[in-house]
Amino acid sequence: MKTKRIRLLATQSNLWLLFLGIFILSGLISAVVVFSKGLSVTNMSNLVPWGLWITIDLSSIALSAGAFLLCAAVYLLNLKQFQPIARTATFIGLIGYSMAVMTLLLDIGRPDRFWHPIVFWNTHSVLWEVTMCVTLYLCVLVLETAPLVSQIEFIKRRFPKVHLVLEKAHLLAPYLAIAGLALSLLHQSSLGATYSVLKARPYWYSSGLSLLFIISAMAGGTSMTLLSSLVSSKVSKKAKIDPDLIDRLLPFIKWVLIVYLYFRFWDLLIMTYTYELGRTETLNLLTRGQFAFNFWVLEILLGIVIPILILFHPRLRKIDFFKVLALSFVVVGVIIFRWDTTLSGQFIVLTYQPHQLGAQYTSYSPAWIEIFAGSGVIAFGLLAFTIGVRYLNIVNHHSNKPVEVG
Amino acid sequence: MNTQSLPRRGFLKVLATILCGIAVKVGTKKASAAKKIGTSDHNWGMVIDQSKCIGCGYCVLTCQARNDISPKISWIRILNDNNTATQEVFLPVQCMHCASAPCVSVCPVGASYYHADGTVMMDYDKCIGCRYCQIACPYGARSFNWEAFTQANPSVPIWGEPEIERRQRGVVEKCTLCHQRIERGLNQGLVPGKDQEATPACVNTCPVEARIFGDLNDPDSEISKKVSGGMAIRLRADLGTSPRIYYIPGKTES
Repeated sequence: MKTKRIRLLATQSNLWLLFLGIFILSGLISAVVVFSKGLSVTNMSNLVPWGLWITIDLSSIALSAGAFLLCAAVYLLNLKQFQPIARTATFIGLIGYSMAVMTLLLDIGRPDRFWHPIVFWNTHSVLWEVTMCVTLYLCVLVLETAPLVSQIEFIKRRFPKVHLVLEKAHLLAPYLAIAGLALSLLHQSSLGATYSVLKARPYWYSSGLSLLFIISAMAGGTSMTLLSSLVSSKVSKKAKIDPDLIDRLLPFIKWVLIVYLYFRFWDLLIMTYTYELGRTETLNLLTRGQFAFNFWVLEILLGIVIPILILFHPRLRKIDFFKVLALSFVVVGVIIFRWDTTLSGQFIVLTYQPHQLGAQYTSYSPAWIEIFAGSGVIAFGLLAFTIGVRYLNIVNHHSNKPVEVG
Repeated sequence: MNTQSLPRRGFLKVLATILCGIAVKVGTKKASAAKKIGTSDHNWGMVIDQSKCIGCGYCVLTCQARNDISPKISWIRILNDNNTATQEVFLPVQCMHCASAPCVSVCPVGASYYHADGTVMMDYDKCIGCRYCQIACPYGARSFNWEAFTQANPSVPIWGEPEIERRQRGVVEKCTLCHQRIERGLNQGLVPGKDQEATPACVNTCPVEARIFGDLNDPDSEISKKVSGGMAIRLRADLGTSPRIYYIPGKTES
């Protein structure tokens, strides 16, 4: 019997896997340290209880928004031509929500009690509603991805019954799209409301954040899907895209960004009128203080204005480099918006002494263990996407399979 | 399946779902607006007299002993509240036991809840350690157990003996008005605020009697008289949290 020798070549893809593997390993080790020693190993404190991991959690959910949008477009608006992209988006959604769950498990003090919100309800709590919606939506995503899994040759050969059951899941697609749309609209904005309902944080305490979170998620999620499709088609032969299909979604992103900019403008302008304890200090922190670069350059200029300009420009928007640039900038802008919002709201601490009513400043920067654990989760996401492209055909706009998937 | 009518039906279904969701949200809010656990005729409150407080910290140490708190955590924080006073003015801050507590609204598992006697309680068995209540509290009253507290409590036995179970790593804790003492005292027919065994430890231990505890529902109690006297104020009353801890301001230069 001739044994096959497997030679490990330093190919591009192997190096990529090695790179991801290193981060996943360091992430796992960090997670073990966090679970065994406790959250005292992080730089979070009683004044800044939410840091890097919550940002990763919020960003993962926002960047997964392509799934509900594209599935709604395909199954509710009957735009069947976008189905291949919806398939990609759904898989990204599954990855994103898994990343969010992983980051949350790291972040809560009692990961063994992660199931508590499902059993112990507090219907007043926006965070409870978010948890329930995220849990239900994760189920929706699993069901929407089931047909994809059923297409794997291995499953077809070894578990034909499982294959049939999973394939039947595609019949649920329109209903899953409806459920996904309702659940996503609820929890994407509720994540903003998580901050908005807190009177203790004057900068957050307004109705603006709920709206800004859902709008930025719509822009960021779609951008993430298109970006992943474009980039993977450039680096892997397995990823086949139809550039025309992607181009047809770019105007959607452009107009969502314009709406986003419009809402952000008014939200911030109103805050500049008359001093309000806590709110004015936070606004200064964002626009003139330590977050000024993040805010003006990363969030507004790169995150919104430049992509709008690129997507309006008739020649630039046809060049792949600028497409990728614009989409990446939108993704970065969405992430930084959540980072800035989370931290700036906590950095201003209001005093309560009757004679010393004012604002005090605190600070936070993530500890190395937080960075390693967070990077591990992100590397997992990238690895899952890589595997999807390679073995599950998730980026394939030329699929001629008769079966509807995603 | 008639795919032609699906988008319209789908839209109507989504609309119905969202409207149902909103109805449920609004309905449950009104129904369980101020859900309280237990029954009580009392409404506990506390008055801290800043004109008497010398900032000695005995209340902090006794609290740490009787509630078995780690030395890295303090349910009571003593801050400076100086302005133009000739003497230093201190402000001991702890959980305000708000009647409209932000922490109770936001806890995703209901680990933070109202007792019928007004105390904002903690169910350490439900808490998942998400720290949302910490962010929500305007008074910074809550402490998270960032690490396990496994060593001996340095406040014990000098400042008292532990009366409740030590909390594990990963849950949030805060002042409970020594509810274990109140409950035990009421069972024995004692009066919290008057009888030491039924009164919070910090009130008992204060060497200058700067703390008064009692029933705000009882118009004859010392606390009710102090509160209705008009001198007692509450912190950040403008926020609308309705705290139950009152303060009598320190003496300032006239």
